Amino acid sequence: MSDSKHLPIPEKSIIKFEFREKLNSIAAGFRHNYCYQCGACVADCPAGFYSERFNPRLIMLKAILGFDDELIGPDSEIWECTNCYTCSERCPQDVRPVDVIIAMKNLSLKEGKAPALIGQIYDAVMTTGITTKISSLVERRREELGLSPIKEYPVDDLKKILEGD
Amino acid sequence: MKYIPFFGCMLTTKYPQFESAVRKTVTTVGMELVDVDGFTCCPDPIYFQAKDKMEWYTVAARNISLAEDLGHDVITTCSGCTATLSEVNLALKEDDGLKTEINKRLKKIKREFKGSINVRHAVTVLRDDFGIDRVAETVKMPLDGLKVAVHYGCHLLKPSRVMRVDDPDRPTILENLLRAIGAEPVHHDRTLLCCGKACMSDTIPDRMVIDILESIQAKGAECMGLICPTCFDQFDVRQIVLNRKYEKNFEIPVIYYFQLLGIAQGLGREEVGLHLHKIKVDKALNRAKAPV
Repeated sequence: MSDSKHLPIPEKSIIKFEFREKLNSIAAGFRHNYCYQCGACVADCPAGFYSERFNPRLIMLKAILGFDDELIGPDSEIWECTNCYTCSERCPQDVRPVDVIIAMKNLSLKEGKAPALIGQIYDAVMTTGITTKISSLVERRREELGLSPIKEYPVDDLKKILEGD
Repeated sequence: MKYIPFFGCMLTTKYPQFESAVRKTVTTVGMELVDVDGFTCCPDPIYFQAKDKMEWYTVAARNISLAEDLGHDVITTCSGCTATLSEVNLALKEDDGLKTEINKRLKKIKREFKGSINVRHAVTVLRDDFGIDRVAETVKMPLDGLKVAVHYGCHLLKPSRVMRVDDPDRPTILENLLRAIGAEPVHHDRTLLCCGKACMSDTIPDRMVIDILESIQAKGAECMGLICPTCFDQFDVRQIVLNRKYEKNFEIPVIYYFQLLGIAQGLGREEVGLHLHKIKVDKALNRAKAPV
């Protein structure tokens, strides 16, 4: 029986602290904890200006409250970040919102909830050493310009230093 | 002075004309380029970093360690490579725990990140190690006041804590480098807006590029000048796409700074690969009495 003289205490907090903890464990992903919601990041944010939903202050708030189902997923607003770092220039608390967003992207990848393009570009680097494709046209162009031919990329080295992750 | 060029994926395999322009122009100014074998993708600061930040640190640290063997600073020619290599270099220099963790991984290929060199975009090296006056001295054919809309892109300047190049809100480096070659830098309402390439959306990057191009048109600039191959992608070939998609008539030539420098140093337009651009540059360069 609840005591009617007191407000009911929910059995479980509506804030999901475990999401914050999870984010804290990702490299460079702990600075949302310092955000005091002033909104200085919003005014000059290009994604915020052009997108109907992207708002770096709200993204930090959702991270603090643990609204993971809104943040983690292939259709989340986090993928609209332009990575321009203007928010990091404006933030008085050195939250570095882009870095927190990147940590959330890392988490999305770990949980298999990211747009396919990310994995495709990662795989390209791991199998060829680069993000782009080498065409015979470009090889000919390099020769015409007097540039050296493209050497083979050391993909075995990449595999070795990243194995076990 | 000796420098190690890091041309990255885009210049090496997509825009070799930019690589050629950099090599020719910076050596004329006085840089001695020492090439290093074995570089991979920097790796890409957007997608690769989104996959796993620790892996991103590791691959970048491997690249930097190759340059450290020779002991010269790295010069970058793409804002993406600048972002990755500068940030990782600083992060590992600042954080011994992180450095130890990354070096455990590099040890598997008998490499080590020491933190002994710096990474800088080539334009920063021109300004700081040689000076704007030295750049001007190499000019044989000043560009006759060619009105160049300045486009900084994001990662030469930001995050300023890492880049330490210029005031991110009131930069002057590109303006001064343009004046040095006889061009007239043109500011417009969207001079400092991002090119939008990293934003994963069907419409937002389009609207950003359209706003930038319209604001350049409104100021009557003759071309756009920039320092990043990814920004170039967004504005050159993309103009054709946007013209079709949104019934626009954009025709603003987009020129990489080192191509402009090359022209001013007396190189031919084909030598710096200007004939390969989707938006033709000849009208603007003829007006500026630049050599063909």
